Amino acid sequence: MFIRTALRGLITPLLLILGVAVITFLGVLGGDQVQTSLTEMLIRMVVVVGMWIFVGNSGVISFGHVGFMCIGGYAAAWATVDPNWKSIMLTGLPDFLQNGQYPFPYAVIGGAVLAAVVAIVLGAAIMRLSGIAASIATFAFLMIVNSVYSNWDSVTGGTSSIIGIPTVVGPWVAFAFAAGAILLAYAFKSSRFGLMLRATREDEVAAKASAINVFRVRLAAFVLSAGVVGVGGALWAHFLGVLTADSFYLSLSFITLSMLVVGGLGSLTGAVVGVVVVTIVVEVLRALEGGIALGKATLSLPPGSQEIGLGLVLALIMIFRPSGLTRGREFRLPWLQSRAGVVVSNTAPATGE
Amino acid sequence: MSAMLELSDVEVRYGRLVALRGLSLEVHKGEVVCLIGPNGAGKSTAMAAIAGGVPRVAGSIRLNGQELPARKPEQIARLGLSLVPEGRHVFGTLTVEENLRVGGFLRGNARESAAALERVAGYFPRLKERWTSPAGRLSGGEQQMLSIGRALMTNPRLVMVDEPSLGLAPLIVDAVYEILLELREREGLTLLINEQSSHRILRFADRIYVIRNGTIQLHGTAEALRDGEAIKAAYFGFKGTGANANVVEGAKA
Amino acid sequence: MINFLQNLIDALSLGSLYALVALGIGLLFGILRLVNFAHGDFITIGAYSLILPSASVTATMVIGSWHWEALIPMVCVIVIIVAMATDILVFRPLRRSSAPTLMIASFAVSYMIQNGVLMIYGARPKAVNLWSALTTQINFYGLREPVLQLVTIATTIVLMVGLSLFLKRSRWGIQMRAAAEDFRMAQYLGVRGNFVIGLAFAVSGILAAAVSLLFLAQTGALSNVMGVPLALFAFVAVVVGGMGSLPGAVVGGFLVGIVTTMLQAYLPPDLRVFRDAFTFTFVIIVLLVRPAGLIPSRSIVERV
Repeated sequence: MFIRTALRGLITPLLLILGVAVITFLGVLGGDQVQTSLTEMLIRMVVVVGMWIFVGNSGVISFGHVGFMCIGGYAAAWATVDPNWKSIMLTGLPDFLQNGQYPFPYAVIGGAVLAAVVAIVLGAAIMRLSGIAASIATFAFLMIVNSVYSNWDSVTGGTSSIIGIPTVVGPWVAFAFAAGAILLAYAFKSSRFGLMLRATREDEVAAKASAINVFRVRLAAFVLSAGVVGVGGALWAHFLGVLTADSFYLSLSFITLSMLVVGGLGSLTGAVVGVVVVTIVVEVLRALEGGIALGKATLSLPPGSQEIGLGLVLALIMIFRPSGLTRGREFRLPWLQSRAGVVVSNTAPATGE
Repeated sequence: MSAMLELSDVEVRYGRLVALRGLSLEVHKGEVVCLIGPNGAGKSTAMAAIAGGVPRVAGSIRLNGQELPARKPEQIARLGLSLVPEGRHVFGTLTVEENLRVGGFLRGNARESAAALERVAGYFPRLKERWTSPAGRLSGGEQQMLSIGRALMTNPRLVMVDEPSLGLAPLIVDAVYEILLELREREGLTLLINEQSSHRILRFADRIYVIRNGTIQLHGTAEALRDGEAIKAAYFGFKGTGANANVVEGAKA
Repeated sequence: MINFLQNLIDALSLGSLYALVALGIGLLFGILRLVNFAHGDFITIGAYSLILPSASVTATMVIGSWHWEALIPMVCVIVIIVAMATDILVFRPLRRSSAPTLMIASFAVSYMIQNGVLMIYGARPKAVNLWSALTTQINFYGLREPVLQLVTIATTIVLMVGLSLFLKRSRWGIQMRAAAEDFRMAQYLGVRGNFVIGLAFAVSGILAAAVSLLFLAQTGALSNVMGVPLALFAFVAVVVGGMGSLPGAVVGGFLVGIVTTMLQAYLPPDLRVFRDAFTFTFVIIVLLVRPAGLIPSRSIVERV
């Protein structure tokens, strides 16, 4: 009985992780191209699951999370890049980064911490705004990050890239982090904070009336979420080996948000499913852009089709399936469902008692 | 005599909540019909469904024998049916004059609409005094008058008034009802009015429907229901003993 | 002193561009609760409509070589068509959706337009010479200003007065304001909702077309993302001014324009590259002090 209860609580994240593991396992059997796409997808999963912690639970759209990815990626790169290179290119770094070189795990932690610290400062400023105004303020944040990181030559290398980052992230490393992110996100969702935050999503006024400090719960989610996304950035840096500030801008923001919406903002399952589905769509379109042989003729879509196709998919999902592919539900096994109905539904208003 | 407005077996849901379950009622030309019921009984939903504001899952709503389109409020307004909603819903940042003009645009003809404006101003001298001030600054009673005047601008044959007494002082409520009856006389209007209490209604209405839990519990002429006992029983859903008589009569007063 | 005045005129000129963009965005937000990211791309389309669709590096003017009396209406018509088409194809099916959904939908529209332009015209920015006569400077007691700056400010004033008269006096304007305040009630009174919204898209299209011409005359360069920074600054302007309030959008637009120009002029040279970061930090500080913006909209507060 006890095991059953514990299982019921964990069944969603475990099933999700299992699903992702299967995909990873199949992907690893494929060629280099497949493995690259797979790793990219798993890192994006870390980022999107991280975003979901805030966006999914609070209902406030954030365009700025890619900024945290940028911050995390650069912070990690500062730690792992060869000091000789840094002494020539990044003369403005603090001493311990300038002259030291740290192992990858420290770099990841550093990325998460810096992103979270920035999120505390930013969140303290903007989490009091109404939902829409906060969204636009996160946009302003993205622009600030972009402006600073593409111009602060002595610290970020400016518009020239940081190169020579050790490429230690492969599919299984990325998978491990994706699994961790899923567990963390689910733990947050099930926590008191997660419950309160979702109450504010359903009805801010009612949540306030039931003594929920909207500002505080939003801020907590924002910071945790930024930390996870920062980890995603660190992974990204150590997957590509190269960083440019401009790669963390509108395009990536669009792709990650699409992943959230396509899967369904309302559930963690939605975030995970969205990443997989959008990756498949993008990869298919990319292949079509590259050209596919059909008998003697080659069919190839003009450049830009990939983006337009993704936009179209997103628009169609919003029109015909507004709560995403998962309809805001979590992935569960029916026979483990509680009969007493203790499960908190995502669609019904959760105004606390 | 065929009904001007006829609802049969109308069902409306909000998500899983059934707001109207098989509601049927009719309003004849020139009548004042009252729909009374407690909070949440479905009175406002009924009016919104008639006016095209909420979709119905079943049933039919006919005006002069013609089925009304669902969810097409702007078309329904053109068929001579106008709603004065609960809480007045005046456009707070628009002036009194502009609020009225919004109602007049569907007439299409500028001269006709100007004449209507003149006539409405005649019924409501108080609004004439506040002509250029934003409607948001008006008192509750003035806003109620404005809301009624605005509905009148659409050249309606049937006006639905949702809880005209809500949040108003009794004296003001009397004035509102007087003007409604005057309009009925002089404009040949038919009226459907929602109220929570039967207090005033029994004096003004020709016929009364009592609604609870989304269906009609009782209906009859005001004459027949004058003593209030039957209304009370239907309103609360039990056979009245007389002990609660004041609750019904005094719910709003 | 002369220097400061020159900076001030520059600031007003940039501010008026932002104000025009912010008005276009604010108008749709007021009626639809739509934060329209695609507005910047309407501007891009206005600019690209001047040249022949081709992926070649040099731009061949078609409409762009017309006399301005024909050019301006033509560009307006093109942008209006695009704006109304996005409404019919994307936003009308989403009429009952929440504000965040609409916002993401407009983000998708924006992304599609940017890449559509890229597909048709190629990725490389193109140089265009529109109305070069306007860049001549006039000398006024030692104050040297390009005519264009003054034209920009004058156009903005004309459009603002025009829009304000339209909203206050015309039957459509009054219906638009009524719908902006209480859409459902306006419908109950016979206001044709979709028509009024379409009209609002058309008006925002005219504003975008005006900006595209003024902006292009200033920069002389076409790129498929040229409208994006304008829209982003304008968003911020709309929030600072107070969401849903048109005077707020104008005030916010001028404020952001002035702050940006003054930072550009008076920041120490090595910090100048961070100008946008300073501007947005300033914005976030303003929002800290006044979360509802400088001129909060009453109707929105009442809704909550």
